[in-house]
Amino acid sequence: MATEVDKLEQAYREKPKRPSTWSGLPLQEFYGPPDVAGVDYGQDVGDPGDYPLTRGIHKDMYRGRYWTRREVSGFGLPEESNRRLRFHMEEGASGLSVIFDLPVQMGLDADHPKARGEVGVQGAPINTFRDMDTLLHDIPLDKITMSFDESVSLCCAVTLAQYVAVAQKQGVDPSNLRGTIQNDSLHIRYCGFGISTPVDLSVKMSVDIIEYCTRHMPSWNTININLYDLRETGINAPQEIAFGLSMASSYIEETLKRGLSVDDFAPRMAFYCSSHVDFFEEIAKLRAARKIWAKIMKERFGAEDPRSWRFRFGVHTAGCSLVPQQPLNNAIRIAYQALAAVLGGAQSLHCCSYDEPICLPTENSNVLALRTQQILAFETGVANVADPLGGSYYIESLTQQLEEEAQRILDEIDGMGGAIAASRNAWFDREIDKAALTHQQQVESGEKTVVGVNAFVQPPETETPGGVLRVASETEEEMVRRLRELKQTRDQTRLRKTIDELRRHAEMGEKENLIPFVLDAVKADASMAETIGTIRQAYGMSYDPLEVVQSPFFKD
Amino acid sequence: MGERKIRVLISKIGLDGHDRGAKAVTALLREGGMEVVYLGTYQTSETIIQAAMQEDVDVVGLSCLCGEHLKHAPELAQKLKEAKLNDVLFVVGGVVPWEDIPALKENGVDAVFPAGSLMDPIVDYLKENTRRRN
Repeated sequence: MATEVDKLEQAYREKPKRPSTWSGLPLQEFYGPPDVAGVDYGQDVGDPGDYPLTRGIHKDMYRGRYWTRREVSGFGLPEESNRRLRFHMEEGASGLSVIFDLPVQMGLDADHPKARGEVGVQGAPINTFRDMDTLLHDIPLDKITMSFDESVSLCCAVTLAQYVAVAQKQGVDPSNLRGTIQNDSLHIRYCGFGISTPVDLSVKMSVDIIEYCTRHMPSWNTININLYDLRETGINAPQEIAFGLSMASSYIEETLKRGLSVDDFAPRMAFYCSSHVDFFEEIAKLRAARKIWAKIMKERFGAEDPRSWRFRFGVHTAGCSLVPQQPLNNAIRIAYQALAAVLGGAQSLHCCSYDEPICLPTENSNVLALRTQQILAFETGVANVADPLGGSYYIESLTQQLEEEAQRILDEIDGMGGAIAASRNAWFDREIDKAALTHQQQVESGEKTVVGVNAFVQPPETETPGGVLRVASETEEEMVRRLRELKQTRDQTRLRKTIDELRRHAEMGEKENLIPFVLDAVKADASMAETIGTIRQAYGMSYDPLEVVQSPFFKD
Repeated sequence: MGERKIRVLISKIGLDGHDRGAKAVTALLREGGMEVVYLGTYQTSETIIQAAMQEDVDVVGLSCLCGEHLKHAPELAQKLKEAKLNDVLFVVGGVVPWEDIPALKENGVDAVFPAGSLMDPIVDYLKENTRRRN
């Protein structure tokens, strides 16, 4: 048995185990001028705001405006989510963000048999325009920015339409709406939504949204390529850049086929990145991603508008880095990751809540996440100077390392014919499974230290500090009741007319933009599942992705 | 004659597609010398019971990450009982509050391994507790 003194002596002699980054890139003991000899400041780095934008997309960075402090929320009934949204506004959040429950994210209504037990559980259950109206009650949509954490593009089309319909009801012109819809249907296949995301139709709908917003909602971010979710599957930092940017390139190629020029829509494309545990690697990753994207846009797609070169991104601190053991430690992890995001030049930030690996975030843990951002912004002074780590031998060298490795993977994907082809032949699936397993093996073997898991372990907890938030079991019943009532009381003639129109236009081929017809159907109280199902059927698919429910309108 | 390997079924019920944990556990149990049937996502209690019988498994593992454990786990435990699979060990992994573990155990779950659990204790537990012949 090791005595206390033995342990103390051992602890005294402890030193870092891994001379490499969390992603496995090798590191030197220190960095100096020879390591950046190949880096040309003007060509490879540039001042903040100057191509290739390595140091940030704005000259004045946060002096012009802080990053948007935005915490994702959504649970229970729509009115409960509304209360949480308004609570965030009250507490000083500068943007809003909603996540939907699993049925909605798969395009199913609350009354779907497979939705049992999942309605309002991990997101807001917004099936209809009425639900969206309740969610946004007393929130003036011309004054706020909203981010919808939703990526299955069929669902995004409906959600966007619901949002536009509520705006119009409020008397707000859609051209004045500011915000983001994730709309990234390629990445979401790797987040458990493959079954509801047929590749071709999904990409078509993503492009419909990009095209529609470009023409009618100039202040809206038409797509938010979600590198964060990809990273959470277990891949490493260079893979995060490469997978995400390859998918973004595919959307551009598909959108160009609609006759838009790249500078018409590229300025409203945005990204969502992870900030993981390795502090400097994450900062270098964000700098490298910015540089690679600027080059892709300028050199490959010939974008001439400098706004098209900008890799504008939000950051989500790494949920997968949090553990339930000694849960308050998570608050510290989140704070470091948030700092890395800001030093990396993020445009907006969501900090995880420390209780996330245990339950839905409580109101108090949500506030702590927001305060983490506010302390960073208002106390630490890190926002005063753009790219404060630029010029560091280590950071510049590591940025170059990340860039080279990400570019190597990007070239590999291009060699396969791009992200859509790599999706079809399951290349991403294999890479993800391999990377996730490698990481877990490194934790099991102790090669990677996770405090509270494989080091500095304490006896298991029995309760969660701050308590556990639960969704009331009546939520589901109530949502089903509302839906049934709406289905009985809505104007059936008007509904049927809009559904028929949607179907007719959906049959006109993939270049026919369906968003205006989705909007009409939504305004006529068509539900999420009814709207999506009608489009799916026109494309020769089952009404219900899970093949349980039949269409009330057309035979499969 | 070699020893009969412990046979494990790993699955998820409902709509949640967070399968990173379930897949990692599958791969690592295989490395630990067990035979694992990975049934994957979108299953129901019925499909799991059917596979458990067909594959003659010793362990059923359910992964829950979105707060649905209190519904799905007791339901599956009940169905296992009805199918007379009393000697099958039923374990749950994922995002489960400590506070819920006693209730799950009262309702037919043999063990809960929350996120962040390491494999060695899981493998040891399964070896010690599989009640069937080896």
